[in-house]
Amino acid sequence: MNKTEIKVFTIADYEEEEIWLRQQHQKGWKIMKMIPPCFYIFESCEPEDVIYRLDFRNREQSEEYLQMVKDFGWEYVGQCVGWLYFRKKADEAQTAEESELFSDNPSKVEMITKIVKTRIMPLTVLFLASVVPNFIRFLDGEYIGPWGTVFGIFTAFMFVLYVYLLTHCGLKLKMLKKKYEC
Amino acid sequence: MDDKIRRIYIPMTESGFYILYCLQQPQHGYGIAQQVKKMTGAAVTISAGTMYGTLSKMEQDGLIRFCREEEKRKLYQITDLGREILDTEIRRIERLYKNSKGENCDE
Repeated sequence: MNKTEIKVFTIADYEEEEIWLRQQHQKGWKIMKMIPPCFYIFESCEPEDVIYRLDFRNREQSEEYLQMVKDFGWEYVGQCVGWLYFRKKADEAQTAEESELFSDNPSKVEMITKIVKTRIMPLTVLFLASVVPNFIRFLDGEYIGPWGTVFGIFTAFMFVLYVYLLTHCGLKLKMLKKKYEC
Repeated sequence: MDDKIRRIYIPMTESGFYILYCLQQPQHGYGIAQQVKKMTGAAVTISAGTMYGTLSKMEQDGLIRFCREEEKRKLYQITDLGREILDTEIRRIERLYKNSKGENCDE
């Protein structure tokens, strides 16, 4: 039996996503496939404690990397917009480090830096170069006629969405970085 | 030795030190992790992402080099530059150890 769940995790909520996937598995739902932006397809299974870990690789994953992660006892679940999903049975991890993909803080911080560089920064540029000017045009009443109104509302919606996402992700990633930097 | 390389690698992270130390013999990522776990009585365990990241960076910076492939696993080995960094780091740790015992180092 399969089920589909709709759940939104931003690029900064990967630790919450890991916990949620683990809870699903404990309830007898094993993730099969992630479909962007927010669809999760689960298959029913025996309830089990399984650790989930996400790694942000953007587009640079390699055969060598997957092989190495497998060697360390991880099962590759799949990928979704730059994220790789791995799982491992909780009782197979003998130490805290074996239940992690990144065993030291510098490598955790490095992943966060990669997210900021390849996702947050381009989004910010797009926001400043396109969303903000369009929004100002909308406020100035430059969009006229029924289609103008539709486009105007869309512009306003995008503006609010971008402000929310950039603030939420920016602050969250900053907090995560601080947590691992000390 | 390149000043930039020196800034990055000295002092080294614990994982970095053990990885470079183990690569005095050709070895692949998982092999290194097992060796380190055994050497340190599981006090230092290096996980997959950290291992891969460190190996890629060290290869890029010329501290280690790819030596051959065995069953889809890449084996790496230390280079002369890596050797130099490792020796510098060992001398630093020896100094720390001596000083921590209250001994002074010779000029």
